[in-house]
Amino acid sequence: MAKLISRPNMTAAEAMYVPEIAKGLGITIGRFFKNTFSSRGTEGNEIDTIDYPEERRTYPERFRGIHRLTHRADGSPRCVACLCCSTACPAQCIHIEAAEYPQGDARHGYERFPKVFVIDELRCIFCGFCVEACPCDAIRMDSGLHMPPSTQRAHFIFDKEMLMAIPAADGSFETKNPRHEPGDPTHPGVDREHHH
Amino acid sequence: MPTFKLDGREIPFEPGDTIIKAAWRQGIEIPHYCWHPGLSVAANCRMCLVEIKAERPMLMPTLKWDADKQAYVPSDKPKLTPSCQAPAVAGQEVFSQSSEAKNAQAHVQEFLLLNHPVDCPICDQAGECKLQDYWQTSQGTLKRKDTEPVHKPKAVRFGPTIVYDGERCIMCTRCIRVCDEVVGDHVLDMRERGNKNEITVSPGRELDHKYTLMTEHVCPVGALTSRDFRFKARVWFLRTQKSVCTGCATGCNDYMDFDPRKNEVFRIRPRDNAEVNKFWMCDDGMMSYHRVHKDRVTQGLVAGKAVAPAEALTAAAAALGKVAGPNIGVVLSAQHSSEDNFALARFAREVLGSERFYLAALGGWEADKILRHADNNPNRAGALAAVSSKAGSLADLLKDVSSGAVQGVIALGWASAEDASALSALRSLKAMVTLSSNSGALTEVASTVVPVASFAETEGTFVNAKGMAQHFDRVIHAPDGVQPGWLTLVELAKAMGKTLAFAQLSDLRGSIAVGAAAATQEARS
Repeated sequence: MAKLISRPNMTAAEAMYVPEIAKGLGITIGRFFKNTFSSRGTEGNEIDTIDYPEERRTYPERFRGIHRLTHRADGSPRCVACLCCSTACPAQCIHIEAAEYPQGDARHGYERFPKVFVIDELRCIFCGFCVEACPCDAIRMDSGLHMPPSTQRAHFIFDKEMLMAIPAADGSFETKNPRHEPGDPTHPGVDREHHH
Repeated sequence: MPTFKLDGREIPFEPGDTIIKAAWRQGIEIPHYCWHPGLSVAANCRMCLVEIKAERPMLMPTLKWDADKQAYVPSDKPKLTPSCQAPAVAGQEVFSQSSEAKNAQAHVQEFLLLNHPVDCPICDQAGECKLQDYWQTSQGTLKRKDTEPVHKPKAVRFGPTIVYDGERCIMCTRCIRVCDEVVGDHVLDMRERGNKNEITVSPGRELDHKYTLMTEHVCPVGALTSRDFRFKARVWFLRTQKSVCTGCATGCNDYMDFDPRKNEVFRIRPRDNAEVNKFWMCDDGMMSYHRVHKDRVTQGLVAGKAVAPAEALTAAAAALGKVAGPNIGVVLSAQHSSEDNFALARFAREVLGSERFYLAALGGWEADKILRHADNNPNRAGALAAVSSKAGSLADLLKDVSSGAVQGVIALGWASAEDASALSALRSLKAMVTLSSNSGALTEVASTVVPVASFAETEGTFVNAKGMAQHFDRVIHAPDGVQPGWLTLVELAKAMGKTLAFAQLSDLRGSIAVGAAAATQEARS
């Protein structure tokens, strides 16, 4: 279906075209001189560009940066390898192989852990669904980093160790959400004795 | 056939049927946990409660809230009956969707989830769990209990194949009944009462009979998990195809679950067939999918060197061309489909001009009276039918080789009762060509190996010990350049400058049918 567009109502000066061009060039040239000759950072004289990458803008608090795997207090991953993130992932970039905690471990029977956890950051579209899907707050995108550029594909394949070595923007490896560990008093599975 | 009415629909039933069984026959599922069509009635889960309208209804006195009077007033409600236990009666009216019945289902479901750990993300059953299904259809409310759930043993090793999680268990006793009634081995039982109930293995025993995986198969929740499948995959990533077990000559029907992204088979589940395996399969059959990936031959082998499949085919044609004639031994395989065996028989007669047929098969295993057949080959009958049963054994082949009657051999498959050292006489033949999906004694002694598709990578037919021809579907894709056995033989004939008169599977099947009809005629006359 054809869409009707009304003609813009222009004044005579606008319709003549040239004065408007001159006006636009004026702004461009003005910016050029301001950026080149003004001293940076002086009050009332802030320029609009920054010297990236020496200077960086602060990203908003909820910026979705590269992933990190959060730690427990003992430094092990919070992840229980449930594959909810890779199920939610629309780019299918998460590969996980699950394993069981050994007999005798307090988590044996209650939890499992990722033997292999790989994210292909090249495939990732940074939608954040994995973070939403995670029932354990084990995967987060609060690193505040975007993917650093590289010419090698292998640099974009992040394994478990790499993901666990990335801190949050505030430098912590854990999360603020509490975790109830098997063995500590807040864990629902604390009383593991079976009374006969 | 007499009928009764279930939610307004006429349900025919056979005398002796219960309501739930008659509905099940019609493809209607009344929510249930403990009832299984292949097991006795336990009626302990109370999920299948229905309302039965009879001439003299059984009513229970109860109190109902009256909004006008702002008080509870005496009333009555129909007594609900477990439909797994109630016999179907002609003309009765049953309601499984009435408000009373649905109310009961919702509350039974809530009770069953009372002490459940709700650890679905790390439970292997998630995605095919009845607790999840019925929570969706019958409950849909959050947990109201806010006290500590009862704790029970977790990750208990029941035996070499099964792990038990007491907290997920709903005590339906299906696993106990499958051991008692199907296997006849009372190795599982229940101990304690109420919410301390748990399943245990008999003292001094392990769950180690030949059908242990059936306990996991009948478990409606995640309490029993298979150690083989444990944590390997999430079931929602898997797709399924109908197949037939290659474990023995019983030919149990099964589903093969595979991950299409990885082109990998993850497990086998029994497929109901009242004529063959009813609802069950043995452990060895359930584990037979490992053959799909273990010792897989994906490349051709010519004089000990790995080559592309097409190159191996050319080499095989050249080798067979040198000795073609009546002194070529043709080894059929009891592990391959009827199609492959029939194509090989035709190839032998029409391309090679040989009638020397032998049959390679595994040497048998321990049989029982439940499902396991002494012949652990799925298609001995089908392979023999391809040559009207005129096939010798591999021992006969070795005799003919030493007497010089056989100069070259073309063999199908990896399976043989003899090991490679017993067959080493075949190494010295002028041509020893093996078409196989996996490595085995026959590929080890071969000078030329042409890879072919395994039973999971092509469709075909197995004929079981009862003479039933059963079709199986293709599950995963064959490796690059690898074709089904019968098609490889068509190509091989082409490479030898001859033509086999079928280009498609349907042509081949047509000529099998014609051959079978002719054989029947011959037998009659």
